[in-house]
Amino acid sequence: MSDRTMGERAAGQGLSFLGRVPGVAFVLVALFAIFATLSPGFTTVPNLSNILVQSSILLLLALPMTLIIMTEGLDLSIGAVLTLASVVLATVALSTGSLSIAVLAAVAVGSAMGLLNGWIIAWPGIPPFVATLGTLSIAQGLCLLLTDGQSVVGLPDELHTVYAGYLLGLPIPIIIGAVAYALMHLLLYHTRLGTYVPALGGNREALRHAGVNDRLVLTVIYGIGGLMAGIAALLLTSRMSSAHPTAGIGMEFDAIAAVAVGGTQFERGEGWLLGTLLGVITIGVLRNGLNLLGMPSSIQVVCVGLLVILALFLDGMRRVEE
Amino acid sequence: MVTLTPSAPTESPVHQAAGGAPLLELRGISKTFPGVRALDDVSFPIWAGEIHMLCGENGAGKSSLMKVLCGAYVADAGEMFHNGGKIEIKSTLDARKLGIAVIFQEFSLIPYLSVAQNIFLGREFPGRIPGTIDRQKIRSEAARFLAMIGSDIDVDTPVHKLGVAQQQMVEIAKALSQNARVLVMDEPTSALSDTETEHLFGMMRRLKANGVAIVYISHRMAEVFLLGDRITILRDGKKVDTVLPNETSVSDLVQKMVGRKVDTIHRRGDNMKAGELALEVKGLNAPSGIADINLNVRAGEIVGLCGLVGSGRTEVARAIFGADRISSGQVTFFGKPFSGGPDEATRLGVGLIPESRKAQGLALIRSVGDNIVLAALDRLFPSRLFQPRTARKAADDMIQKLRIATPSARRAAQFLSGGNQQKVVVGKWLTADARLFIFDEPTRGIDVGAKAEVFALMYDLVEKGAAILMISSELSEIVNVCDRAYVMREGRIAGELPRDRLAEENILQLGMHHE
Repeated sequence: MSDRTMGERAAGQGLSFLGRVPGVAFVLVALFAIFATLSPGFTTVPNLSNILVQSSILLLLALPMTLIIMTEGLDLSIGAVLTLASVVLATVALSTGSLSIAVLAAVAVGSAMGLLNGWIIAWPGIPPFVATLGTLSIAQGLCLLLTDGQSVVGLPDELHTVYAGYLLGLPIPIIIGAVAYALMHLLLYHTRLGTYVPALGGNREALRHAGVNDRLVLTVIYGIGGLMAGIAALLLTSRMSSAHPTAGIGMEFDAIAAVAVGGTQFERGEGWLLGTLLGVITIGVLRNGLNLLGMPSSIQVVCVGLLVILALFLDGMRRVEE
Repeated sequence: MVTLTPSAPTESPVHQAAGGAPLLELRGISKTFPGVRALDDVSFPIWAGEIHMLCGENGAGKSSLMKVLCGAYVADAGEMFHNGGKIEIKSTLDARKLGIAVIFQEFSLIPYLSVAQNIFLGREFPGRIPGTIDRQKIRSEAARFLAMIGSDIDVDTPVHKLGVAQQQMVEIAKALSQNARVLVMDEPTSALSDTETEHLFGMMRRLKANGVAIVYISHRMAEVFLLGDRITILRDGKKVDTVLPNETSVSDLVQKMVGRKVDTIHRRGDNMKAGELALEVKGLNAPSGIADINLNVRAGEIVGLCGLVGSGRTEVARAIFGADRISSGQVTFFGKPFSGGPDEATRLGVGLIPESRKAQGLALIRSVGDNIVLAALDRLFPSRLFQPRTARKAADDMIQKLRIATPSARRAAQFLSGGNQQKVVVGKWLTADARLFIFDEPTRGIDVGAKAEVFALMYDLVEKGAAILMISSELSEIVNVCDRAYVMREGRIAGELPRDRLAEENILQLGMHHE
């Protein structure tokens, strides 16, 4: 599918594109059919809307994670940065009483952490896995330091209306997710910066020879990850009406899983944004469906793991056929 | 190869008649690396509208010259002129500004970007919204440059879906879009089919007619004579001669490429002791690109396997050793059929001394002793328990036997000299009771003194009844060390040379493409 490179669907392909639909799409359809059969409440409009609302935070993390993985990188710190931004947001909101200042502070802290990641990886050349493992620990420690390990509560009521509110008849988290997706699509497929993302993963030497400052590009990509984590912090804090110093732990794994399930590869700069969207929704559908069936969250975690393996297995088989 | 139509006489170079300065001229270019004089006082004019062939053996300096041209290397000495004006090329950017584009055998394309995006990588046209790119213009401009070279590749195709020939077209279109006036091509036809080759040649003639200068490196004699307006021969980093195709012949060219070299290696005496069949390969085919390989090596023999870079020598060695998959054929070691896999080969008494000693032959950070016993663990410790004392003794024995210069068996292998590292690899296989040794480029990266030691070691091995298959691109080594040799060309055995016909000229005649 030409989406993978130009974000355009070549005309006149007919149904042959079906043969190139990634494994995740089949998994999503299958899960949907299973849950629709087993649980009558699954296919109701409120529940489907609920799935999208609940997926919004993960989507905000998985979108930049797609770009980062396409550069043959990884960001393990994104869950901890999300938590740190959430804690900062709550603390600033409490001390200033202004929600907008608090959001700005959260986004600033998230971006700063992201740029720090990018800088460490691009300039001294520390491998992304290790570099972001380090910043994960730093962010986690700062969370505990800022909160003394306690939850931050007593936030202004208007905060809760962000996650639970509606705009033009649509839940606000869905709107934020949709706007974020549209902007990331524009970035990846219609800007210079986006063009250089698959180049960083595919042939960094060639990019450098083309006169592009590859290190700066890499730093900015990680910075975008931190920025998105800052915005996701608004949704997270709003959902809980409070900030917990451990709230976002493990979110990086869901984000990486969504990207992998969506068919983005960890090598050579191959990846596509729509796949990540499908991956995020698939994980959301799986969790929601299991919830409706009364499965405990421990089973959900196991199932997400199985999903990742199944989706990649299906993709692998299709690749062999090619 | 298909019949190739020679270029029309009207297309012959006009530069000499027109007078004036060459488009680009190198004068007295030298480049030295530690221990190697890669280029030695090379002068080389390139005229607009000519196809200039560059010939020479492996290591003659062709690649170095190319890299100096494109700014990847900076010359130690010498001058360069562009249209008569003195210039300096200190970076790839300098070269690009002068209109010099090099198309390497390894392409510089991004696999998951489209053809159009690759052609304009780093030079995207800005779109109406600030920060965006004008994808329509990128596509239409890319299509225009592709059409210019007669290619109809869809500009939206991601590059990883293209074949080698099409990728080459994209590289050429990219070069033209950068307004290249000098195009350097390194063996561009080595991976092309006949039709693709025809197509490429047609395109080169069109570029030439438009005044583009092409420097073309090739080992295929037919191409050299068909396309070349002039032929420059390099040998040992020096320019031997520049000749016109109608004033020379294939044998003359080969003679100039080989020259009369001073033999640095002592030629071995005749060996009459060939014994049992150590290795027999029958009808071997492998997906790595080798076909119909038949060869054998007897105990007490050193048999050479040579051919140009990319002719399939290393692929043959890997297939024989079971390191690569084979599609058909039979490999027999000491009369026993080999079913595949390096562990099975080791059990049958085969040792591979790989081309890249540091990456494939040794565990560099481990001790000399650990390396020596590595392939013999099954034999030394039948109980499956590692016994340091046994290991130490085996290592010390081997260090003594091969006279490996190391303070102790505990020294990390990375601190040894190249020649001694090579001995450790050999010692590893001797400890594992190997009786057939496959040496892939045994003297790469080691100095002259160490070379002599490695050869002495090889002679000693065959004296004691081992068999050796030696792969080398150093023709003088093959000629002096081997009892006989197989010459490869394009993944096949082009011929076998017995001892009395083993000469560099004969190897080159067999290994080159001059049908």
